[in-house]
Amino acid sequence: MTTFALRRLGQNRPILLAYGGALALFAVTSAFSPGFASANHIRILLIQASFVALVALGQSFVILGGGIDLSVPWTLNGSAILMTLFADGQNRPLVWVIPLLVALGGLIGLVNGLGITALGVSPIIMTLGMNVILSGGLLVYTNGSPTAAAPAFVETLATGRVGPVPYNTLIWLALASLATVVLTWTAFGRHLYALGTNRMVAQFSGIAVSRVTVVTYVISGMTAAFAGILLTGYVGQAYLGMGDPYLFASVAAVAIGGASILGGSGHYLGTIAGALILTVLAGLLPILNLNTASLQVIYGVVILATVALATLPGRLAVTR
Amino acid sequence: MADLEARAVTKRFGGVLALDGVDFEADAGEVHALIGENGAGKSTFIKILTGAVRPDEGEVVLFGEPLAARSPRDAASHGVAAVFQELSLVPDLTVAENVWFRRERLTPLGTISRRRVRRDTRALFGRLDFPPLDPDIEVRSLSVAERQLVEVAKAVAGDPRVLILDEATSALSPKEVSWLLDLARRLAAGGMIVVYISHRLAEVREVASRITVFRNGHSVGVTEGAAASEDEIVSMMLGRRLERLYPDKEATATEAVALRVRDLRFGHRLRGIDLDLREGEILGVGGLQGQGQLELFLSLFGVLRARGTIELDGRPVKISSPRAALAAGIGLALVPEDRQNQGLLLPKSVRENVTLAVTKRFSRRGLLDLERERALVGDAIRQLSIVLSSPEQPVGSLSGGNQQKVVISKLLLTRAKVLLLYDLTRGVDVGTKGEIFQLMRNLAREGYAILFFSTDLQELIHVADRVAVISDGSVTGLLEGEAITEDRILRASVAGGTAA
Ligand SMILES: Nc1ncnc2c1ncn2[C@@H]1O[C@H](COP(=O)(O)OP(=O)(O)OP(=O)(O)O)[C@@H](O)[C@H]1O
Ligand SMILES: [Mg+2]
Repeated sequence: MTTFALRRLGQNRPILLAYGGALALFAVTSAFSPGFASANHIRILLIQASFVALVALGQSFVILGGGIDLSVPWTLNGSAILMTLFADGQNRPLVWVIPLLVALGGLIGLVNGLGITALGVSPIIMTLGMNVILSGGLLVYTNGSPTAAAPAFVETLATGRVGPVPYNTLIWLALASLATVVLTWTAFGRHLYALGTNRMVAQFSGIAVSRVTVVTYVISGMTAAFAGILLTGYVGQAYLGMGDPYLFASVAAVAIGGASILGGSGHYLGTIAGALILTVLAGLLPILNLNTASLQVIYGVVILATVALATLPGRLAVTR
Repeated sequence: MADLEARAVTKRFGGVLALDGVDFEADAGEVHALIGENGAGKSTFIKILTGAVRPDEGEVVLFGEPLAARSPRDAASHGVAAVFQELSLVPDLTVAENVWFRRERLTPLGTISRRRVRRDTRALFGRLDFPPLDPDIEVRSLSVAERQLVEVAKAVAGDPRVLILDEATSALSPKEVSWLLDLARRLAAGGMIVVYISHRLAEVREVASRITVFRNGHSVGVTEGAAASEDEIVSMMLGRRLERLYPDKEATATEAVALRVRDLRFGHRLRGIDLDLREGEILGVGGLQGQGQLELFLSLFGVLRARGTIELDGRPVKISSPRAALAAGIGLALVPEDRQNQGLLLPKSVRENVTLAVTKRFSRRGLLDLERERALVGDAIRQLSIVLSSPEQPVGSLSGGNQQKVVISKLLLTRAKVLLLYDLTRGVDVGTKGEIFQLMRNLAREGYAILFFSTDLQELIHVADRVAVISDGSVTGLLEGEAITEDRILRASVAGGTAA
């Protein structure tokens, strides 16, 4: 099983490239900034990377199937805010609050998926519309007022550790393994790649194209909601707008990880490298001592350049 | 020196030597045929002539000048136009827009004048005596045959000096084929060099003044078109004699009706089709192009939602999707018309394509058993002798004929007992055709029920146990045994209901 995973990785030049890039970037940054490579700071980087990586997990499934989910920011945000409201700083309610919110995220994905497959709305419009609806709904619901602090348990989940390894990283590892198994060793994974490569061929091959599509959006809704819960634990509270950076970041992580943005090729293993690159980059730029506005510009430019580089081998292969 | 000359052209793809020092000559005024088995290197050679692929060694000389086309567009500017085996029209543009694509003459404002494009297309169609086709229709809605015709018009529109047709007749009906052969002859007579690739040897002998034969990346000989017998040509192609193309018909059909179709209707394309396909039977479907045959196959496979009743093995079934068709009763499986857009995931491996429809067969407790998959794929490759360097090779890099074999193995793995074969032998070489017909006969003997559409009348005549002729959406003739003749099929095709 593992040899196959390695072979698969070997075939996937873009994925290896992404890991190479992540390592190189990390080395460069460490050279500029002593302490960047300390065990403590690496832990922090891993925790920060996990939020992008979780949102990008669902996004990977959606993009592999040829879609895109633009509703992740407010799915994440909604789950974060509702969690603090429902739990009200207490640990006990979390037994039902966490499953409920993950399920709600899945429900949002279900509506997205059904809108796209049954009603034929384009993925961009459907999920963008959903994002707007969710943001409006939350504003009305919370009345714009601040919410309670994150319960202690959620904070522990997000920042605590067993031995040297953060809980957070363990959770991420578990979900990443699950995603890898699903993509590589299940019929669903095969069908998903087929769907993203050519919808009509998938349909002619007897694949339940609509069902597979809907499931990817459900997964995306669930991972965004779960990321919202963990992120609240990390930040200590929920606030309006906390999900906004995760739209661009999740799509960029998938693309940097070597997936085709049109679907059909790529892997979550690549997305992980994409999330790591984005996180190290966010750590490198402040070292350059620029103001936040310039940072944003550089961040954007570097990401676009990375995506262009990551997709270059594919395009060269086509024009060969 | 010949007008078009290639010298010592060599091309390697990884470990595959597609062309090995090939020489080729053709002259203005001739239709020059290029034939060879699947994977012999014909298309690769054409791609080199047109700059779609760069040769590793060798050169091409056109009218005394070296031709090193960098792209098909560049080649076109040097007067070399081609219809490629893999069609390349833009689905969202109309027929007329495709014909003049990137060659439009612009208005003073720099925009494209639709009126002019339309007018030019009408004029061109008139000049070519083109089969009836609406220039304003979107290419998306055309059949493969119609797309092939549009490709021809597009290639001819630029008045090239060299016109290359790579299996441009593979989906055409006899009438359209004879139109295209006429056109090729006329263009050659006007001083053009026409290079003509086809697996239909009768066509080749009819139209070509000379024939160059490729085998295994080598040019193994040139012969005069009329001088050589079909047998001789085939022997040159295969390097051995072909014992027989068509296996003997056998009375393998039983009394049991595997597929019963009653009053199948779809818009004005199907006007109440009745069919009985028996177990062990090969039922041919004939008729002129576009009389509803395609819609019949697509309806039976659940792609189109037709009205009417369909029974499998005596039980009524509801078929609302291909998935339902594959799962219904004894199962319905289809070899689709359009290999590139319906049959295969071109960038994916042969392995993934072969097993795509049957992932359940090698899953255990939800996980894929990849050892078992490899075994299945290995068997499939051996059974149909698919020529490839590795099962992990993208299926799109196989030769056309070998791609079709992958489609067939995909179909067989589904274990569906009713096989819908739409133009199964399109682009397949004679040797392999023989194997495929034998395979069909074997399947019939095993109890499969086969519905078989072909644009090639000879195939229907020699392979089918019965032939249903379809005209204007209904069955206008059902021929059996000795009655299956070219003449009777053609008469039923135009009779509209009287020849049964
Ligand atoms: N892009 C590619 N990558 C790898 N192998 C290739 C590629 N293109 C062609 N080949 C290989 O080169 C050989 C010649 O292929 P080619 O398409 O020229 O055959 P052909 O004579 O046109 O066959 P057909 O009659 O089936 O169309 C085949 O073995 C094919 O698999
Ligand atoms: Mg070819």
